[in-house]
Amino acid sequence: MITAENLKLQYTDGTEALKGIDFQINKGELVYITGPSGSGKTSLIKLIMGEEKPTSGQLKVLEHTMKTENPQGIRDLRQKIGPVFQELKLINGRTSLENVMLGMRFLSIPRNQWKIKATEALDKVRLGHKILAKAENLSWGERQRVAIARAITRKPRLILADEPTGNLDVENAVNILNILNSLRDEETTVIITTHATHLIDETAATQLMHIENGLIHLNGGSHS
Amino acid sequence: MKTIIVNLGYFIKESFITLKTNRLSNFLSFVSITLAFFLLALVITTWIVSLQIIDVLEQEAEFNVFFHEAVDEPSRILMAESISDISGVVSTRVVGEAEALQRMEEILGEEAQVLAYFDENPFDAFIEVKVDLAQSEAIIAALQEIPDVRSIRDNQQVLDQIRNITRIQQFLGTLFIVAAGAATLVVISHIIRQGIYHNREQINTLRLLGAPESFIALPFLLVGLVMTVGGGLLASIMTGAAINMGYAQMSGPIPYLPLPTQVVLIRNTTFIIVFLSLLLGIGGSVMGLKTSKES
Repeated sequence: MITAENLKLQYTDGTEALKGIDFQINKGELVYITGPSGSGKTSLIKLIMGEEKPTSGQLKVLEHTMKTENPQGIRDLRQKIGPVFQELKLINGRTSLENVMLGMRFLSIPRNQWKIKATEALDKVRLGHKILAKAENLSWGERQRVAIARAITRKPRLILADEPTGNLDVENAVNILNILNSLRDEETTVIITTHATHLIDETAATQLMHIENGLIHLNGGSHS
Repeated sequence: MKTIIVNLGYFIKESFITLKTNRLSNFLSFVSITLAFFLLALVITTWIVSLQIIDVLEQEAEFNVFFHEAVDEPSRILMAESISDISGVVSTRVVGEAEALQRMEEILGEEAQVLAYFDENPFDAFIEVKVDLAQSEAIIAALQEIPDVRSIRDNQQVLDQIRNITRIQQFLGTLFIVAAGAATLVVISHIIRQGIYHNREQINTLRLLGAPESFIALPFLLVGLVMTVGGGLLASIMTGAAINMGYAQMSGPIPYLPLPTQVVLIRNTTFIIVFLSLLLGIGGSVMGLKTSKES
């Protein structure tokens, strides 16, 4: 599903974010990528999302070769991903329901399913009572859950959550991780980046990837 | 295409949200666009009116051929028949002294009382010759060859002057259309760029979710269209009112001016302005989207 060989990323200002990493993630895995702030976790997510192109090495995501992929290919790839961004990227002035529906509007999901799926997803993340609340009126934890609902309604092959526990208290953080852990199934791979290693349920993870200073220092997990 | 149709309600809602974001700036831009279209509509109206006047004058172009007093009634008819044979002459008709006087009385209206001071009818008989203006020079040359022709009165100079004025007006009109069009394009593209700037986070989110560029661009395109077509329609209403006022002013002093009917003039001007606004709206929006993407 995702393979990286000697993957390097250097930004235009000369910063080396990833210094040649190798890994493989298979279909249906739950992968935790840990590491301190600035270790290269978000850079790896950006590469997987096609926001950045590898400086050298190979990265294949869902059959897309990221180094040479054209904009249309990147768009196609992103439509197969359910992202939960670090900054959440919800649209202010729109309700939870509208934000969740927005993620489906240009996919091949029939129009009459948008509201049903969005409501179901918001129920799943325990926000069924706030479907008409404006995004800016929700707490950070609630916004986090709307972002997860938006990701899962897209029926993605890959869920990418970048620091979903950031800015949350322990109870809310554990709740969010439990929701994300439950999304993994035979068809859906879940990748979660976090620096809060103490919150990870190691028994649920199939791979634990620890990145530090642009290199993978530990690659383990219950199924790897 | 299917994505666009099923999301039409969403696009309309998004475009109105964008319009509301910068309410004052967008309102002022809307006023500028409306005024530009209003001025444009006035230029187009004048253009249509002058073309109509030229057309009517050309269709009714005629020469008056005066002959010596000695020419009697049968000879006048023969002369008219021979003039009919000249290439470019559409028709001829002998107008007697009495009819010439009657025509002048009709033109003068209440002022016709002045004619009563003449002891006898001061008007001469003549032959009215309707002509094809394109051949006017050849016709005049042929008429001058006819014996007993005393003088020829043509309105060639008047028509030439009107044509010259129309040519200048067309040049200035074209210049104005280009200037107003360019101004509208710039205003609209600026509004679109502003809208994109204010919504850059949302656009980035949509891109990361894999939204096609057309899906992202459509609400902005609609903003451009709403502004220009709205401005165009308002300008058309203002032009309609101005035309009605203008006609009311002109109907008194120059009742015989061959003006197009108000309904036709307002309909044609509205059609041109709405079509132009549609075109400029799409053009301005595309320009705004393109320059935003490049920068």
